[in-house]
Amino acid sequence: MELLSYDFIQRGILAGILIGVSSALIGVYLILKRLAFLGAGLSHAAFGGIALSFLFGVEPYLFTAIFTVAVANLVQFLTKGKKVPGDTAIAIIFSSGIALAVLILGIVKGFGENLFSYLFGNILVVSKRELTYAFGVFLIVIFYLFFFYKKLMILTFSEELAKVKGVNVKLMNYSFSSLTALVIVASIKAVGIILASSLVVIPAMTGLLLGSSFLMSLIWSAVVSLISVVGGIVVAFYYDLPPSGAIVGISLLLFLLAYLLRHLSLK
Amino acid sequence: MPIVEVENLYFSYDGKNWVLEDVSFSVEKGEFIGIVGPNGAGKSTLMKLLLGFYKPQRGKIYLFGQEVQRFKDWKMVGYVPQRLSVEHTFPAKVKELLSSVITDKKEFSYLVEYLKIEPILEKQFNKLSGGQQQRVLLALALSSNPELILLDEPTVGLDVHAVNHLINVLLDLRTNHRKTILMVSHDLGILLKHCDKILCLNRNVCYFGPPEGAIDYIEEVFGLRGLFDGTLKL
Repeated sequence: MELLSYDFIQRGILAGILIGVSSALIGVYLILKRLAFLGAGLSHAAFGGIALSFLFGVEPYLFTAIFTVAVANLVQFLTKGKKVPGDTAIAIIFSSGIALAVLILGIVKGFGENLFSYLFGNILVVSKRELTYAFGVFLIVIFYLFFFYKKLMILTFSEELAKVKGVNVKLMNYSFSSLTALVIVASIKAVGIILASSLVVIPAMTGLLLGSSFLMSLIWSAVVSLISVVGGIVVAFYYDLPPSGAIVGISLLLFLLAYLLRHLSLK
Repeated sequence: MPIVEVENLYFSYDGKNWVLEDVSFSVEKGEFIGIVGPNGAGKSTLMKLLLGFYKPQRGKIYLFGQEVQRFKDWKMVGYVPQRLSVEHTFPAKVKELLSSVITDKKEFSYLVEYLKIEPILEKQFNKLSGGQQQRVLLALALSSNPELILLDEPTVGLDVHAVNHLINVLLDLRTNHRKTILMVSHDLGILLKHCDKILCLNRNVCYFGPPEGAIDYIEEVFGLRGLFDGTLKL
């Protein structure tokens, strides 16, 4: 295939697969924990983190990762003991992240173009450093899910039951939120802030529609994400389209197909 | 040593209105306790306090002689929650769910056989009937062979057959395995018939003793004088 002869395409596909699979796997848990919107909240909060990194003149990726992990833990803290409803806490960080970026843009001129490039991302201009970050996040996700697979399953089923069964619910929730933040920061490069949550939610929901068990849902969500990323990049290359839109477009198409299949099989 | 000991317990969600007020009782090994009371009486809250989900404002709770906030040996406690509102997309099969907490193969086989779960092992939890789901929840509660079993309204929405199965299992656990059971339920007939003691709760303890003496208090708490006249033989 012609497109695979290009170095940037190879890097883009590899980064996309790593990010897409990581996003889809954590997305399954987020949907089941009714936290599907956390991805959108964190990606928008990350926008504030990127703006801050520009302001301080520090490396954006690392700074934004730390910032977004802190915000994710703040959401956990706010919702602890149900003092603030989960969706409200997410709405707060969602708008605060954007507000922070807008404020910084207003105070310091000249960041605009650089900052806005993060809004839509471009998987085809991923650097080696960003690819390494994506690979690191992918490994953390795989190891985390492998070691805590059973604990996460019972935790997703019922936090009360999990606690009685000796699961450290607080630690698991905080660590999972941190993991989500790391994945979101990685996916910003692939599809941008605005579409980052789509990589988390759409393939995961498709996997849940297709899977006949917990394990199969995880596998399906990863497969759907993989097809979306590779298919999206191929379509974007041949039809000169933005890769982020093509990736999300294909994942949406697969979701609709899965929904239709499920609907027909229930009849 | 009592299995459960509650001393002068006070609890409020908002810091103003007591949900539980000066509640004291103790439960010995092998006792089957039925907890009754009208809606809002604090029954489910008491369960969650016993499980350490909430911290009481005043008073103490001891499980196996240890204060509940410091209690670590949760394997000794089994819990069947009120009917779970699990996401309808939750995909786990019964086998996967049970395997997530039961690691010992012998224990797995024993519970599957004991609770007659074999035919539904390969089915998704969300596609089971209420009675079948309740059996799976009971299996999860009984994993690690707990000494104390807490059940929060386990008969809600079950048909007669499923209720009978559940009660027979609980009676077997109490009689043949000396398990201690605390069960919250609105099913007064079942509690009065099968429990060793009734805890009648209406923010405070109205009555705690044998079922025979509970009827007057229950009728008073529910405002239903004559409810059991000639209808219940203990």
